[in-house]
Order: sequence, then C-alpha cells, then structure tokens
Amino acid sequence: MKKIYKIWILVAFMALPFSCDTDFLNTTPLDRVSDATTWSDGPLSQAFVYGVYSYLGYGGFEEQMLAVYTDEAMFTHAGRGIEIFTQGTESPSNVAWMSPTYEWDNMYEAIRAANIAIANLPEATFTNVDKDMLLGEAYFLRAYYYHQLVRYYGGVPLIDKLYGLNEDYSVARNTWAECVDFIVADLDKAATLLDGKDTSAGRASKLAALALKARVLLYAASDLHDIPTASANSSLIAGYANKDLIGYTSGDRTARWTAAKNAAKVVVDAMAGYKMNLGAPVTPEEGEDNYRALSMGGGSTIADKAAGAELLFQRTETPLYTVENNWPLGGIHFGINNGPNGYHNWAGNTPIQQLVDDYEIMDQTTDEYEKFDWTNPEHAADPYFGRDPRLYATILFDGATWKPRPSDVAAIDPVNQIQTGYYDNGAGGKVNGVDTRESAIENWNGSRTHYYVSKFIDSDPAVVDNQSGFQVVPWPFIRYTEMVMNYAEACIALGEEAEAKIWLNKIRFRAGMPALTESGTALRDKYRNERRVELAYEEHRYHDARRWMIAPTTLGRGCKSILVNATLKAGKSPRVPYVYDKTVYNYTYVVQDETSNETRKWVDKMYYRPIARDEMNKNPLLVNNPDYTN
Amino acid sequence: MKNKPNPIRNALLFFMKITLIHMLITCVSIMMGYAVDSSGQEVLERKLTMQTENADVKTVLAEIERKADVKFTYRPRIIKDLEKVNLDVKEAPLYDVLAQVFGSTLGYEVIGKQIVLKAVPAGEAEDEDDTPVITPNFAINVVGRIVDESSQPIPGVNVLVKGTTNGTTSDADGRYALSVVDQNSFLVFSFIGYTTQEIEVGNKTTIDVILVQDIQSLQEVVVVGYGEQKKVTVTGSVVAVNGADLVKSPAIDLSNSFAGRLAGVVAVQTSGEPGNDASTIRIRGVNTIGNQEPLIVIDGIPGREGGLNRLSPQDVESISVLKDASAAIYGSRAANGVILVTTKRGKSGVPQVSYDFNQGWAQPTRIPPMSSAPQYAAIMNEIPIYKGISNPSEWDDAWAAIQQSGTYTSPTTNQTVNANYTPLDVQKFADGSDPWGHPDTDWFKDAFKTWSPQQRHNLQIAGGSESIRYLASIGYVNQDAYYKNSATFYKQYNFRLNLDMKINKYINAQVGMLAREEQRNFPTESAGEIFRMLMRGRPTEPEVWPNGLPGPDIENGQNPYVITTSATGYEKNPTDYLQSNFKVDITQPWIDGLKLTLLGSVDKTIDQDKIWETPWYLYTWDKISYEPDGVTPKLQKVLRSTFTDARLTQWTRNKLNTNMTAMLSYDKTFGDHVFGILAGVTKEKATADHVEAYRKDYISTAIDQPFFGGSTQLINGGNDNRYTYNRTRLGIYGRVTYNYQEKYLAEFLWRRDGSSFFHEDHRFGFFPGFLVGWNISNEDFFAANVPFINRLKLRASYGTMGSDQVYYNDVLQEYSYLSSYLPGSYPINNNVVTTLIEGVVANENFTWERAKNSNIGLDGSILQNRLDFTFEYFFNKRDQMLIQKTGSTPTSTGIANRLPPVNLGEMENKGFEFTLGYNGEAGGFVYRIGVNAGYNKNKVVYMDETTANPEYQWQTGHPYEAYLAYQSDGAFLDQAAIDNEELDYSEVTTTLLPGDMRFVDYNNDGKINADDRVRMDKSDVPNFNYGITMSFQFKNFDLAILFQGAAGALLPFGTESGDIGNYLEYSHDNRWTIDNPSSTDPRLAIRGDTYYTGGNFGANTYFLYNKNYLRLKNVELGYNVPMQVSKKIGLNGIRLYVNGLNLITWDKYKMFDPETDNGALSYYPQARVINTGIRLTF
Repeated sequence: MKKIYKIWILVAFMALPFSCDTDFLNTTPLDRVSDATTWSDGPLSQAFVYGVYSYLGYGGFEEQMLAVYTDEAMFTHAGRGIEIFTQGTESPSNVAWMSPTYEWDNMYEAIRAANIAIANLPEATFTNVDKDMLLGEAYFLRAYYYHQLVRYYGGVPLIDKLYGLNEDYSVARNTWAECVDFIVADLDKAATLLDGKDTSAGRASKLAALALKARVLLYAASDLHDIPTASANSSLIAGYANKDLIGYTSGDRTARWTAAKNAAKVVVDAMAGYKMNLGAPVTPEEGEDNYRALSMGGGSTIADKAAGAELLFQRTETPLYTVENNWPLGGIHFGINNGPNGYHNWAGNTPIQQLVDDYEIMDQTTDEYEKFDWTNPEHAADPYFGRDPRLYATILFDGATWKPRPSDVAAIDPVNQIQTGYYDNGAGGKVNGVDTRESAIENWNGSRTHYYVSKFIDSDPAVVDNQSGFQVVPWPFIRYTEMVMNYAEACIALGEEAEAKIWLNKIRFRAGMPALTESGTALRDKYRNERRVELAYEEHRYHDARRWMIAPTTLGRGCKSILVNATLKAGKSPRVPYVYDKTVYNYTYVVQDETSNETRKWVDKMYYRPIARDEMNKNPLLVNNPDYTN
Repeated sequence: MKNKPNPIRNALLFFMKITLIHMLITCVSIMMGYAVDSSGQEVLERKLTMQTENADVKTVLAEIERKADVKFTYRPRIIKDLEKVNLDVKEAPLYDVLAQVFGSTLGYEVIGKQIVLKAVPAGEAEDEDDTPVITPNFAINVVGRIVDESSQPIPGVNVLVKGTTNGTTSDADGRYALSVVDQNSFLVFSFIGYTTQEIEVGNKTTIDVILVQDIQSLQEVVVVGYGEQKKVTVTGSVVAVNGADLVKSPAIDLSNSFAGRLAGVVAVQTSGEPGNDASTIRIRGVNTIGNQEPLIVIDGIPGREGGLNRLSPQDVESISVLKDASAAIYGSRAANGVILVTTKRGKSGVPQVSYDFNQGWAQPTRIPPMSSAPQYAAIMNEIPIYKGISNPSEWDDAWAAIQQSGTYTSPTTNQTVNANYTPLDVQKFADGSDPWGHPDTDWFKDAFKTWSPQQRHNLQIAGGSESIRYLASIGYVNQDAYYKNSATFYKQYNFRLNLDMKINKYINAQVGMLAREEQRNFPTESAGEIFRMLMRGRPTEPEVWPNGLPGPDIENGQNPYVITTSATGYEKNPTDYLQSNFKVDITQPWIDGLKLTLLGSVDKTIDQDKIWETPWYLYTWDKISYEPDGVTPKLQKVLRSTFTDARLTQWTRNKLNTNMTAMLSYDKTFGDHVFGILAGVTKEKATADHVEAYRKDYISTAIDQPFFGGSTQLINGGNDNRYTYNRTRLGIYGRVTYNYQEKYLAEFLWRRDGSSFFHEDHRFGFFPGFLVGWNISNEDFFAANVPFINRLKLRASYGTMGSDQVYYNDVLQEYSYLSSYLPGSYPINNNVVTTLIEGVVANENFTWERAKNSNIGLDGSILQNRLDFTFEYFFNKRDQMLIQKTGSTPTSTGIANRLPPVNLGEMENKGFEFTLGYNGEAGGFVYRIGVNAGYNKNKVVYMDETTANPEYQWQTGHPYEAYLAYQSDGAFLDQAAIDNEELDYSEVTTTLLPGDMRFVDYNNDGKINADDRVRMDKSDVPNFNYGITMSFQFKNFDLAILFQGAAGALLPFGTESGDIGNYLEYSHDNRWTIDNPSSTDPRLAIRGDTYYTGGNFGANTYFLYNKNYLRLKNVELGYNVPMQVSKKIGLNGIRLYVNGLNLITWDKYKMFDPETDNGALSYYPQARVINTGIRLTF
C-alpha cells in the first residue's frame, strides 16, 4: 500500500503543469511591432514613413523602362507584355506590362500607407524625431502617388480615409480637376511642413514638393487635359461620355498656364542648378562631360559629382540593398539590364533609330548644327560624326568606344569598341559583330536596333557590369532642368518667347549646343525636341507625347533600326580580330523597320491606361477610360 | 576546405563497411559449404557444464540453447507448471541434463538441432495420443517457415497434426519442424489474429505457410487517436499499412512508399532531388483552399518536427491513417486527416539482432527528350520568317531560300531575313564533322551519370526481459544525385532507442529516443536553376569541349557540367533532430480498468545552412584563335562567375517543441456491455529562433568562416515568423466507446482546443465526433441465413474538426487579430534603412476552419474469409474556411493586399474508396492480390468571387484551383483560314498569321476576349488514385508487386524555349511549319512571343497536358536462405532480395514524369531505383 501512496504523490507532481492556465496561450509576436508602439516612438514612426517611400520601388530603373512605351526605345526580350501595349491591343482584360511604380493596385496601397501616417502622426506622442518632417513627407508622398495615378489614368477615386473590413468599398472616380486640386493641396501642406527641414538625398523636401506641384500644374494646363482642344484632336475623346474625368471641360486655360509658369518659376529661382549660368556653348567635349555628369547624378567617380545638386527628388542607390540583386534586377544593375551582350549584359531597353535621328548634327562646312536627315548624303555617310554631344553620353552605336571587354571577349574585341555591325571577312562571308544578335556571346541578349543605351550606365571601368560591380547612379524623379523646361514651356504657351529662349539656351550651352533662334511653332517644336533629347530615358517622353497629343506620330511611327555593313575597300584585307577602321572598310548604314518583336500602332485609347477588368467588376461605380469597354 | 572529420561518423561507417563485407563472405561460404545436418543422437550427446539455482525453466532452456547450440520448441503452457530448476553439471551429456530438468513430466524429440518438447499426457489423453515421444524412424520430418502477408516471420504459431496433440510452435524466425507419421495427415497452422490454415502433408517435406491476418480476429488491434482499438470494434474510416510493407520499397524517403498502398491517401512526388524528394500527402484529396497537410502523430506526439519522411522504414511498426471523424480527437489540427506512426518496440526474449543492407542505383524516370542540333537549327531558321516577312504568301519562297542560301529578301516589301544557321552550319550539325564548332550536344547526357548509387544500412537489436524490453537501431543512408561529380548528395544518420519498463505491478513506462542527422548537400545553385540550364542548353553549343574541358557558360557563368560540382563552392544543410518521449501508465489497483497515462516529449531541432560561393572558371573559345598547330581551337580559361570574391551565407535555426499530456482511461465490461472512457489534456509549446549572417569580399577561399569575410556588407536577415516564433496550444479531449456483444458499436470523441494563433475571444473550439457500427455478421439470424458471407460490418461517422494552419504565401497568419507593422528595408540617402509596412487589417474574429466530415463504410469478407472488402463513401464539408475577401475588395481601398483571414469560405469534397483483397493458394503458391482505389471531387461552395465576372469563370462550383483557360481550337492552317475567320481577334493580336492558335468564342459574342476563358473541372491534383498489390510466396521465394496510378490531373506546360533555350523534341515534331502546316498544332514561338504562348492568352487548353498514368511502382523479389544453411554460420536467417521503384510508367506523352507539377520541366526528376538487399538475423 505504501507504494500506491507514492504513486499518487508522483501523479500529483506530474499533473501540476496541467493546471488549466490559459494565460499560457497569450504569446506575443516576435517579428513585428504593434501600431500603438509605433506611433509612440519616433524612430519607429520614421521607419513607417520610410516604408511609404518604399513604394517608389526601383524608381525608373525597372528592367522594362517606360522608354520602351515611347519613341525612345524598344524592349529586346519577348514575352513581357510590352507588345500588348505598343501594338494597341491593350484592354481591361488584357493589361500590358505595368510598372509597380505607377500601377493602380500598388499606388493605392502606397496611398493607404501615407494615409495611415497622416492619420496617426498628428496624435503621436514622441518628441525624439521631427514629427512635422514626417508628416510633410507623408503628404508629399501621397501627392506623388496620386500624381502617378492621374497622369496614367486620368481622374481617379480620391481616397483619404482608412478602410476597414466589411465596408462598402464602391467609390466613383473624382474628376480631373478635383484630383489636381487635391494633389496641389497636399503639396502645399508638404511644402509648409518641410520648410527648413533636413534635405537628405532620397527624402522629400520643400523644393521637391514645389517642383512636383509645378509639374502637375503644367500637365493640367496641357492640350490633352483641355477638353475642347483634346476633343478637336481626337474623335475618341470628343465622343467620351465622362470628359471631366480626364480634363477640364471649361475654365480659363491661360490661368492654368500662368499657374504652371509661376509654380515652375518658384523652383527655378530657388536654386542654381548645375552649370546653368553659361553665356555661351561649351565645347562638345565639355558638353558631353556635363551631360554625363547630370545623368550620373553624383553617383560615379568618372563624372562631376556636383551635378548631383540638380536632383530635387531622387531614388538613391546602394549596393547594400540586396533586394535589387533578385530578379528583376534593380538600378544598381542598370548596366547589366541594358548593356551589350558582348559584355554579358542583357540589352533591355535599346534606343530606336528615331531617337538617334533627333539629335542635331553639325554641318561640317558651316559648323552650324542642323536637323539630321538621312537624305543628306553627308549625314548618311557618317551618321555618328558631329552630333549633339548629348548623343555620345546617351547612346552606344557601332564603333563607339565603351568599357573594357570581359576577359573571354577581349580577344574578339581588343580595343573596346561596340560592334553592332556585320563586317566583311574577306572570304565571302562576314564577321558578326560581338554585340549583335548573331554574336557568339549570348545572342538572345543582343540589341534588335543595333544601339544600346549608355545614359545612366556608370562607365567607370571599375564598375564591371555583371561581375560584382554595382553602380550607385540615382534615379532622378525630378531634376532642376525639368523645372526650367516646364517654365519655358509655359512661357512659350503664354507667348513669352524671349524668356523661354533665355532659359532653354542655358540648357543648350551646358550641352555644348548653340542658342535657339526660332520663334512661333518652330520654337515650340525646337523646345519639344530639346526636351526629348535632354530628358531622354527619364520617364518624360511618354507623358509629353500625350500632353502635346503628338503620340500618334511618335509612338505610332513604329520602330526603326540600323543595319551597319562594312565591306572591304579595294585591295585591303580584313582586320583580325575585327576593329572599326575606315581606312580598311567602307561602312554603309541602312535604316530598316524593326518588327521582330512588335509592330507598333497608335490608337487613341492609348492616351490612358485601362482600369483592369477585375477592378471594374469589383467596384460598380467605376467608369473606364475612353474605348476600354469590357 | 574540408569539413572537420567526425570520429563517430567515421567509426560507424567503418563498422558498417566491415560488417557488410564480413557478412557477404560468410554468406557465400556457407552456401558453398552446405553440410549434412547433425543427427539426433549426436545432439543429445553434446556435453555441457552449467549451474543454476532456483532458476525458472525458461531461463534454463535458453542457457542450454546457447551452450549446446540447440533450439527448443515448445508451447509455453507446457512448461508453465514445471518446478524451479537446480542444476550442477560438468561436461554432462545433454540427455542427462534434460532428464534432470524435466524429470518425467515432459518428453521431447530431436529434429536436427531442434528439440521439440512435449507434455507426457496423462489419463484419457494418453490413450488417444498415438504419437510416440521419440520419433519413429519412418516418420516424415516436415520443416517450413511461417510468415505473414508481408513476408515477416511469425513466431509462436501453433502447428498441430490435425486430430492429434502432436505439434510444435514456430521460432523467432517463423520456422518450425515437426515429425509426422502419416502422409495423409493435415497440418493445422493457427495463431491468434490470423486465419487458421490446414494443409495436407502428402509427400512434402517442406511446407511454408503465409498466414493471413484474420480481420475478424478479436485480438487484432488498430492504432487510433490516443489508443488502440480492436479491429472488430473500429467504427471510423481507418486504413493502415505495416512497416514490413514499407520496407519493400527502396525509396529513401518514407513518404514515397505510400502511393498506391492506402485507399484515399493521395501521394504525389514532385521532385526527386536527394534530401528534397518527399511526396505531398493528401487524405481524400483537396478539402480546403487553405493548408492541406494532414497532421502527423509519431508515437503519440502530434506535429513533430521532421514529420515521418525521414523515419527509417525498419523502425516503423505500423502507420494508421484516420480519414474521417475518428480524427476528431485531434481537434484543431484534424481537419485534413491524421497519420499515426507507431515505431517498433522490443519483445522479451533473447536479443534479436538484424542487419539490413541495401545498395540501390537510381536514374531519372524521365529525361525530357530535347531537339537535336539539326532540329533546333530548323526551328530557329523558320521563326525569323514569321516575324520578318509580313506577307505570308511569300513564306514558301522564303523558307526555300533560307534552306538553300541562308537569306531571303522580299521582292515586295524589301524585308530581309537571314538564317540563324546557314545551310553549311545545318549540315555540319547533322554530320558531326566539326565537334568543336558545330556540336550536337545532349545536355542531360553530358551532365548525368547513368546510375547514381544509394545505400542504406540498418542495424537493429531488440529483446529484453519481463521487466525491461528494448529496441535499438542505428541507420545510415547515403544517396547520390544524377550529376557526374555531384555536389548534391544526401546522408542520414539515425539512431532510435525504445524502452519499455515494467516498474512494478501498477506502473509501466515507455521511453523513446530518436537522434537523427539529415545532411543535405547541394551546389551553390538550386536544382531548379540547374534543370533550367539543362533545359536551356542549346544543342548547337558545347557543354563540354571535345577534349573534356568544361565548355562555356549559357550566361552568367552557368554551365550545368560545372555548376553541379563543388567547383563553385557548396551548400551544406544539416538538420539535427533530438526527440524524446516519455510515457508512464499507472493502473489503479483498487479500481479495475482505470489507468492514468502521463506522456511528455521534448523535441529539439537544429537546422543549419552554409552556402559558400567561390568564383569559378570556364573554358571559352572565341572561334578565331587556334593552338600553334593551326587546327586545335585555343581554349581560354576565364573567370565566369558573376562575382570575383568568395561569399558566405550561414544561418542557424533552433527549435524546441514540448508536449505534456495527461490522460485517464477506464474500461469496464458489464455482461454484454463494454464501456471505455478516456479523457486527457495536452499542453504544447513550439518556439524557434533564427540567426543569419552574410559576408562577402573574402580575400581568399582558404577559410570559409564568417569572421574571415570583408566588412562592407554584413547582413543578418531572416526576420520572419517562419523562423522565429513562440506558439502554444492547449487541448482537452476525450472518448467514450460502447459496444454490445461487439454487435452494436458506438463511439463519441471530442476535443476542446485553444491556440495562440487566435484572439483570446476566439481561441477555443469544440470538435466532436460520433461513430456507430453494426457487425451484421454477429447477428444470429445472419450467420444462420447468409453463410457465404463470413463477416459484414456497416459503420457510419460524423464529426467536426478544425484546422488552425492559416497560411498565405507560406507564412502562418498568426496574430492577424493584431494591428501591427512588419519590418522591411529600403535605400534612403544611399543607406539601407529599416521600414515598417502594415501587416494586415486586424480581424479579431478569425478562428479555425471547420470540417464537417461524414463517412459510411462497409467491411466484409466472403469465401471463407479469402476475399475481403471495404467500401467507403464520404462527404466532407469545410466551412469557416479562412479566405481573403479579394474577390469583392477593390484595390482602390488600399487593403486588397492587406486582407486578413476571415472565416467565410466553404467547400465540399465527396468521393468513395474501396479495397479488395483475395488470399489464395495453389500448388504450393500462396498469394494475395489487393486492389485499392479512391476517387474524390471537391467543389468550392463559397470563396468571395468577383460576382460581376461571368459565372462560368467562377471558382465557385468547381474543384479548387481548377484551371481558368481559353479553349484552344487548333490552329489557322493557312491564310485562307484566317480570311474566312468571322471572329474578332482584335483584342488578341493586330495581325493573325498562318499557324496562329484559334480560340473558341465561348460566350458567342463574336469576339475573343477575357470573357471566353472557362473554368475547367481539373487542377494539377489527381482525383482518382489507385493501387494494385500482389504478393506471392513459393517455397523460399516471395514476390511483391505494386502497381500504382492516378488520373484527373493536368499540367500547364511551357518550356523556356527559343533563342534562349532548346525545344522539346515533342514541340519540334508537333508544330505548324511552312512545309507541313497543321490545323491542330500552332507555330512555335521564341520565349512566348506569340499571343498563345505568353501573356493572358497563353493560359489555354492546348498547353494543359493530361497527367494520367499507371506505373509499376514497386517490386520486390526475395529469397530466404534455408534455415539449415543459415544456422550453419550461427545466423537465424538470411534474406536476399532485389527490389525496384518506379520501374515502368505508362502515360500519354513520355516527356516528363507524370507526377511533376513543373510545366517548364526545370526541376529534379523523380527517380527510378533498382536495389539489391540482404537481411541478416542473428
């Protein structure tokens, strides 16, 4: 019996842990913080606002850049949904490639994040971080994300509340005018809150808020959003039932231009820009260096870092942000995404011939710059000589000098020149340039246009693309030069041509280009070309071509590429390995249609992107953009 | 850099090698040196010396067995009443010793070395017993071996000459020997739980028997939740498989032995990569849109880390699967069914030592047949025409010109198209005249060896006394990968110790210990990447140069021939498990039938990973440089990795799971009424920690340790609740069973479960199960009137069970009731800053999913129990299913990606299963043939659709994840077909071309757009699964065969082909071409550059491939060396066998293993294994 007694003592002890203590089930998460903790703590609140920035994604350094939706570039690789857009087949149920930096779903997620900050910061109790700065950034970012939506979709639902579960989520689109007013109001608040605050690269500032306001007002004043003008230019818009969603159906257009001009002038006067004080053109070499410095944004050792001062709002880069090492690669891998296959790079967004053609050329007898023209035999014989210096800092063409070749290609090209042509081998055949799609090196990554972009690629030889070398060139969301352009555009629209030319010439002098002398429509067209060249690949052409309603003749004209053939001069033998040599070869340049990936076509519905079918079907109050039924 | 040597591992390895070689030599020598057995007289004259004092007879006999090298065979009861033995003999003959032990109470006879003990009958029995104690010379000596259906020996079987008391019992190896006087007599083989068999002696001297389990048997038990039940009283839908069956498969991963063996258990293996080749197991298919994993309970502990996959099959006693409400006692984790694994335990007696060695060879079941260089070149030459010549009427001319001259210029549009491969190139690819410049590479062949070895060793020792029993086993596995010089391989070391202790009359204790290291080793690129390379490798490019040096990369340094080796560094991923469970049963002495069970477990898991990436070199040829001889291409060794410095990623995860359980049970019988009651409580806790480190810029590859790396980029990642958590559960549960004469059966089981995943107010759930059964054959009227049915049972069940496994995107959505923010990062001011991003919109109300499962079953047997059958019908409803309301939440709310789980989804799943088995015997052949099959069809009842979408596109009403696809309608044969087309394709493409795909205008609106997509009825999960098992026994040979098949699944197929990668030969053979236009197969594309191969319209039925298959899954042929031979070298038994896995597969396409879910085929294929094995018992 004693034994049994012991058993029960044992049982009692062993049963102790089983006391029905349900506190045992109250655990706390180890991988997250609560909202209450966050808004009572400065650094955590700041981390939340940094999170709102994170919807800026890679900036414009997406693998598929916005340039490929314009007459700047085409995308090399198939199967990315690019042609759905450029061929005009996009519809709500067949949505083409959209970058997360402007796509509807992602923008509304970003806007909610900003709304959370805007709702919580005024009540926040911390003092160790500048609350006004955080709130100002939140307003700026909300405005930025709405501005993205508005310029791709027109008027959108303005959401400034925080939705909970099981609410009525149906909501109608606000008008274009309401959206512009909302964004401008947010930016005014942001500018006030950010006055005198820290201006670290990558964060919002007072000037960034004012600059974004200037951009939005310029867009608001443009042809596309002046419904009478837009209707005159497009029967589709004329026939659209909800015109107030995409523009002003009435009102004083001059007042809108004036507002745009004044807003831009505030920014233009607030700072000096980079080398914007020149009275005469610099040399072509200096012009090229200046332009390269601008596109490097202070992020390269081979260019003047002072040019970084131009950036009013930027997405900074650091190789430590390893998210960008995962596919799709980020901006630190811009060189890999876009460089030539002969460097083991991936060609990506290659310039099309029409962009190359829009860089002016110097007449070799008069030394005057003129429009490039293939029917001019002098131009056609040597098309890459004497061009606007910015071409050389933007585009790689056959024979252009570039970075050192990787070791396995060095024997094929010992002199580091781009090879996008086909060269007589002296035996009845030809040598395919190592940067072509007929190359022995990763030919599926060869350019279809026979050009590569070099703007934004750090040409520092120490940055070896696709081998450990990551560049830190920032993405320019807004830079000073755009503000100058915006100011000039408003001036031209208001007839203040002299003022416009003063400012445009500063830009041209910096690039080594002579002053503009035109007036009237010629001046306007010169301005548009100047903007195209200066701001190439910076996500402006897509919007500019629409605002000006010239997209039917820009994107709509298709892609052209260049075919470069080198034939041996009489009595010469080929250079082995091949080297660009005008004493040995005769070079011929033939412009041809490039349809291997897309057969471009413009239809007027392309002024706006469609709202996706799923979103339409979930929100019965939505109205889609012109010609997007279904 | 090598790993530190591990002395224990090395010693074990050495031991195993020695043992193996030794065994093989011995084995061969005995077979050659077979000698005539000893005579009875010789045996009885053996001398022995021993001393005992008051020892029991059994112990004495055991000692005699050892000393005299004899074997006693007897029924235990005949020695039960013998008195204790006192012996003191020196060099005494055996007959003398036996006389002292038995006196006159027992007689014996000698057969070989076997001594059969017999009671000397008294009184009446004496008269009837005509069997003399000493075998007469004219008797027939019959020997044989008794095994069960899975060829496992059955010790202790009674063998009796019918109508006499002459009999014996089988030994531990199932062998028996008996002298029979009369050829016309019958031997009766009987054993509890098995059907008794009678066999006529005739002129046979060897009679081997397979005893078939008697399902009717009163004693046979089935493992169920928190206990065991007699099979006859089981009311739930429970299927079981014996460890002995699983041992027949050479699969390294235990889960790969399930397919085809258990009706209603769906096992699909989607990868064959060593270490990652487990099957996905689903009970009764897909029942929810959420987590579908069944709960795995090992030795009473639910949800143990590591699951059952890597258990040694030799350690498994049985596996039971609870398919219906019988799982309800596992409450909140029971909804997807429960798999109960019971490990083997020791039996008292002399130590039983067995050693198993398996040597297998594996190869892929399927290697995708790819296009050859000439085939590839043809495709790559025709595609530019489609893109470059805009007038299809010129395509014929263009193709002719490309083939002749390699170039074509359109006379109308001036467009020029050049061949990617000139006619000369194509000719060189075909004739093989230029292996350097124009190879015809088989990328798989260059990277793979023909057979990849795998080995398994297992040593098991079991035995014990009345008070303590033990089973200890150690195992070792080494599995190589398909690659030549493979950096991928899997090694496992496992150890198990199971102890059973009888502490006193009232207390029994059990201890289970498991230690296992699973060592996964990989190259620095994943199998997915490697197989992507193999699929991409163009046949026109070299993988290996003709001189044997590695060829150039495809891109980014990728050449599978090199990447599969350790030339690029390594990944080592060892996982260590230390699991222990302790159980005490206390039976209360005053109340009969009351028992308290205390059960606890502590499971520790350490998972470590180390990826050491080093720069690597490849050999390239620029096609212009030659060696001085002017003929030999000059290769250049170049650095081709995408980095130049070595880098290291290392992480460690530490997990600790504890479980404390207390249960009280009470069993009582009142006359014909049998009651059982059980109640228990369980507290569980699971915690995990994670640290991760990354370093780069190593100045040398000499030291692969974190401290040695550069300081520019230090990353400590892994902040994720997959790796860091603190989870608790509390469950209170019970069961009441009742039966009346085992005729009417009823069971109620329940659980109340609480989990830390949910808000306090919605934390606890109650999960009851009701089961009833009726043994119709136990009714008097039935037995009297339906004699041809031996057994018939009808049963039904209904239960509600929960699932708390709320996963989205592989992350458990615990704490979704809290409003919280998750950390991330973003670059600001050229630095990485920490960000916070909203998690989900808090939903305080979310809780369990709830399964309401019904089952009706019928079990029976006919033809003297030779044919047994089970039919089941089930109807599972799942509600409160955790869904996100994505269908009705527009993204403009900003919360479409922040939606918390809500308990709104509903789904049904119904189907049937059946199992048939036939036991037969003919001409010395004993066999069993079984068929099992399960069919299920699920249907989403509610899951928050976008209701404005057409109803025929809804997921609602269709199986979960059924494909939504455009209905392909062949291809446009030619321009005329396009011209005649009346449908509007303007939303599809700007220009239709010959060979483009046609679609069905499903809604008849005259145009093809998103409204023409249709929800189908099939997904990638098969809905009909079946198996056919056969086992044959003939003399010392046995053969087991398993056929297995599945039907109803589709694979969305699409390889990465074009300039970037090769095409399947199937694609080459089935395509629209200019020469051979087709109205069924469209043109090929490059990287999805046609509307029907990529983008929205790429999801069409043309690319949904049927995955139905039947395969010869498993075969084992075994031979048991006759005992006389094995005894010769002191072995109780030797079994030699060969077996195989996935030997033959019948399916439609023969391009991929039909179990795959990877439509790009960039995955490590499943293995076909041929294996030879030996089992030695000591």
